[in-house]
Amino acid sequence: MKWTAQQMDMYLSSKEYVDTAIIPLIPLDWKNDAKGIVSMGEFTSILVDEIERQFKGRLFQIAPYTYLTEEEEQDKLNRLLTWDKHFFKHGFKHIVYITSDSFWKTVEKDLPDMLIWVPSLSLETMDDSYAKQIIDQQLKQLLPLITNKWQEEPIER
Amino acid sequence: MSEKEHKVSRRQFLSYTLMGVGGFMAAGMISPMVRFALDPALEAGGEIDLVQVATVDELTDEPQRFDFSVEVEDAWYTSEQSRTAWIYREGDEIIALSPTCTHLGCTVGWDTNEEHPNQFFCPCHLGRFEKDGTNVPDTPPTRPLDVYEMEIQDGAIYLGRPIRR
Repeated sequence: MKWTAQQMDMYLSSKEYVDTAIIPLIPLDWKNDAKGIVSMGEFTSILVDEIERQFKGRLFQIAPYTYLTEEEEQDKLNRLLTWDKHFFKHGFKHIVYITSDSFWKTVEKDLPDMLIWVPSLSLETMDDSYAKQIIDQQLKQLLPLITNKWQEEPIER
Repeated sequence: MSEKEHKVSRRQFLSYTLMGVGGFMAAGMISPMVRFALDPALEAGGEIDLVQVATVDELTDEPQRFDFSVEVEDAWYTSEQSRTAWIYREGDEIIALSPTCTHLGCTVGWDTNEEHPNQFFCPCHLGRFEKDGTNVPDTPPTRPLDVYEMEIQDGAIYLGRPIRR
């Protein structure tokens, strides 16, 4: 489900079926490689949208978690942990963080739940049908990560 | 006598002219407003055009996945949305099913669960559908998969919107 009031109604009426939150982690930086940073965010959003389309009925797409790349590493992490705790406590047994920023890979062991890190590709130079194919192939590999997670017990915090 | 009848006083002349000009001005202002107000009502109610998705000779009796995109107009902007259809033929009949699970809207896949071959399977809450789209009892979905509005012309299959059965 998406972050809209209309889909919120759907969520509220079928809460018991929706146990997974997916949080896109989107970096901001207007100083170094601004275009690369934007492209990372774009790529992550495309993937999240597609994942949401596949798993609409069980997964809620949370608003993006944004941060400046120059922010203290510990601060970025702590703030995400607060988000995680909040959503875990209020209804989501599974939380998935998805990003193209390799920073999160370096702190993966400190994250309480599943990180999906996909290095970004610049889709803007590809023609549409090729870009779709690429995303499709990525998804084929990503979707089982989430369905397999559902087979496992949720991770306690 | 006749001259007198045709005489228009200065006052009358001015008021006729003003009425005329004023009328034009009012019409100029009101008519676009009326048009703007009526325009959405006159437009066909969100009809989407049929899109060519596949050709008949590509089909088998096994449902195959076909992706296509349609233009969708929502309140804020027009966007291209990708859609998927599961299409197969049975004798002379061609069936195009929507992949959207009728439980909560996840995307179903054909023959993706080993324990239940030859069914549509929803990975979210294990909903299942028969090949013709009928929901399997005792799984979460309560109605069959939608079928696409379909037209066949010269061996090409055109799909429109999914229709609830």
